[in-house]
Amino acid sequence: MKRYLPIILFLVLFISLLKSLFQDEMDIPSPLIGKNMPNFSLTRLGENTTVTDQDILGEVALINVWATWCVGCKEEHQLLLSLAEEPSINLPIIGINWKDQDQLAIQWLDELGNPYQEILSDPIGNTAIDFGVYGAPESFLIDRDGIIRYKHIGPLTLPIWTNEIKPLIEELKQ
Amino acid sequence: MKYSIIVLFLLINSNCLISAEEQPTADQQEMYQSIIQEVRCLVCQNQSIAESNADLAKDLRAQILEQVIAGKTKYEIKNYLLNRYGDFVLYQPVFSQKTLLLWISPIILLILIVGWYRKISN
Repeated sequence: MKRYLPIILFLVLFISLLKSLFQDEMDIPSPLIGKNMPNFSLTRLGENTTVTDQDILGEVALINVWATWCVGCKEEHQLLLSLAEEPSINLPIIGINWKDQDQLAIQWLDELGNPYQEILSDPIGNTAIDFGVYGAPESFLIDRDGIIRYKHIGPLTLPIWTNEIKPLIEELKQ
Repeated sequence: MKYSIIVLFLLINSNCLISAEEQPTADQQEMYQSIIQEVRCLVCQNQSIAESNADLAKDLRAQILEQVIAGKTKYEIKNYLLNRYGDFVLYQPVFSQKTLLLWISPIILLILIVGWYRKISN
């Protein structure tokens, strides 16, 4: 036994280091999961009216942080549109337009279609910081009480939707 | 050329005037510098936000400077970042249940080596 101890130690170290080599370093767990979403008060895109976090309570909703300068946002846009158009899904999508220009954002939605029930404008990015956003797109699933249940960094894809988000929504809606 | 230098000089000066009311004191400036060197830029990951030119790093620097000037302590500001971005945002990991092994493993290793050394020297 004693003779094998160095080999065992070596293997344990080797395997644990090898594992972290293949770990996705962008996949950082958010400390906000299970907590209330941050308070905010933002203006609606292209309007002078204000929306606060209190206004979007009461329903399971998807908060999507996006911008016209963000390549991944274009990638996921079609999926967001199909989610918004499907009545059986019944999931309000709230967009936070992050560090963008209102005019560009409006034009973008005119061209590509608008999946959002509400779009809030965050040109300075303070609300995004409160959400712990570090790269668009990022998506947050919130429950009826406004607690963040899930976060995805990067473009949403169909497998992520079917395997992770959809089952969670069904669970939260029960 | 001469004029452009003068214009540039005036521009730099006018910039200073605008931000003059929000200038941090020397102590605050020092604290601000020490914090931003400890905070990881999550977009670029191998730079601190002091070194990074990423947009998010600039936003976080502005946010930290604002809080320093507002009189927040270093502890409060670090907590502000931890609550939003998690342990990973600080280069020096916080001491918690999750990082307990990380912090005490060198001590365990040292004890093991000393024990082993004493055994073979006997």
